[in-house]
Amino acid sequence: MSSLEAQIAAYLAHRMPEARDIVVDELGRIYGGSSQETFRFRARWVEGGEAIDRRLILRRDATAGLVVAERDLEYNVYRALTGQGVPIPGVHFLELDPQWLERPFFIMDMCPGKPGSPFVPTDPYDGHGTAIGEQYWSILGRLAAIDIGKVGLGTLRNGTATGSFWKAELDWWEAILDENEALIEPAVRGAIRWLRRNPPPEPAKPAIIHGDYRSGNFLFTDDGTISAILDWEMCHVGDPLEDVAWGLDPFWPITRHYPLDEGLALWEAASGMTVDRTALDWWQLFTAVKACAIWTTAANGFASGKNREMTMALSGIRASHFHRNLILKMMRAKGAMG
Amino acid sequence: MSSVNLSIDNALHGLDEFVRDKIAPAIADPYIAPMTRLSGMLLKICANGVNDAAEIRVEENAAIRRILGEAADIVAEPNSGALRSAALSTDPGLKISTLDAENDRLRRLLVDVQAALEGDQGEAPPMLDQKIWRFLEEIEAKRAPRE
Repeated sequence: MSSLEAQIAAYLAHRMPEARDIVVDELGRIYGGSSQETFRFRARWVEGGEAIDRRLILRRDATAGLVVAERDLEYNVYRALTGQGVPIPGVHFLELDPQWLERPFFIMDMCPGKPGSPFVPTDPYDGHGTAIGEQYWSILGRLAAIDIGKVGLGTLRNGTATGSFWKAELDWWEAILDENEALIEPAVRGAIRWLRRNPPPEPAKPAIIHGDYRSGNFLFTDDGTISAILDWEMCHVGDPLEDVAWGLDPFWPITRHYPLDEGLALWEAASGMTVDRTALDWWQLFTAVKACAIWTTAANGFASGKNREMTMALSGIRASHFHRNLILKMMRAKGAMG
Repeated sequence: MSSVNLSIDNALHGLDEFVRDKIAPAIADPYIAPMTRLSGMLLKICANGVNDAAEIRVEENAAIRRILGEAADIVAEPNSGALRSAALSTDPGLKISTLDAENDRLRRLLVDVQAALEGDQGEAPPMLDQKIWRFLEEIEAKRAPRE
């Protein structure tokens, strides 16, 4: 066993005192996602005379991630959403004590399937784009329909708010920009001011917002079934159109695989809410601003030396340019350039 | 054969080619291999941005100063004084870090100006606001990462 495999085995022994002959192997880091370090591994042990063999995932805090997430947020969301019609992995252990693996982590099931990268020119869904698109919108609609209090997620950010979610989120991301931006971007600040001058209407009801619901953040199996929605680090409570708009962003557009109108109709049917297209337009500009804020954390994390992942540097350079350019196009469409 | 300067950008291009053509294909690790390819991409962006990095910043700073000078005639005191002063300023040096610091200072003034213009009535403020937005398009295009 490697050092990390041995550390994981020791931790499993600590958490499962009845288990014997614990072996951890086939450990490998999974490429992608810079908010947390993700490892797959195989764990085998004997318990009550039965041999158990599991494929598991370990998610560990990055030294500096794309966004600053509460350490137990993703684990708690997975637990709360179990059995709510949203495919997610089962979670097992949350560990906040750094003595085991230097940083907090949690362990969950490795779900079947693979992610479809939105950044490749080929079909990421192996010909299942239509089926994936249908499930994508229906699952997001079901997420929006969940009673927040009933699943115990009122503790999420904005969980006790009754309105003005747009302002809470805009304030949140502007503060992140203030904290991380080494070179101020007037286009992004101009877009923020436009968003404040033209607020959207309140949503029909607040919803659980995944925060990064998009192509590439779910797994699908060979038969075109979405098997798990992943990467819930930015989960919060808000206007459900925030997630709808996020998935439409041209950096990772689900509309590449499924037409917008049909997708929104599926979302409306599953959520029981109607999409206000003017409000959606507001949230699409907000999406570009939020993306810029996230890329700023990436640039800062890399530049500070806290996280030298290449994806962090490229997000800070290429992705941020993409979204500033998008902001400028949107502002031109709104008449800002005359 | 004419001589070629082994400049920083030239060296970075060579490094990118070595990473892309020699190192990346030799790596089998499913995490390290894509990271190596991305490293090559980052090197290439840096290589393409080195040669005119100072020029882009000097020109951008000068353009912002011109806009701030125009704004000084439109916005009310006490801001107009600060804007005139900024419009007459010069870059304190040619190191990229120095130009970047000056660029950030000027950009912050530009943000303040645009915010002030948005609340102003009359013909001149919206015209200058629109001019700033068009200028932001220009600088974004000039600073686009070249791959």
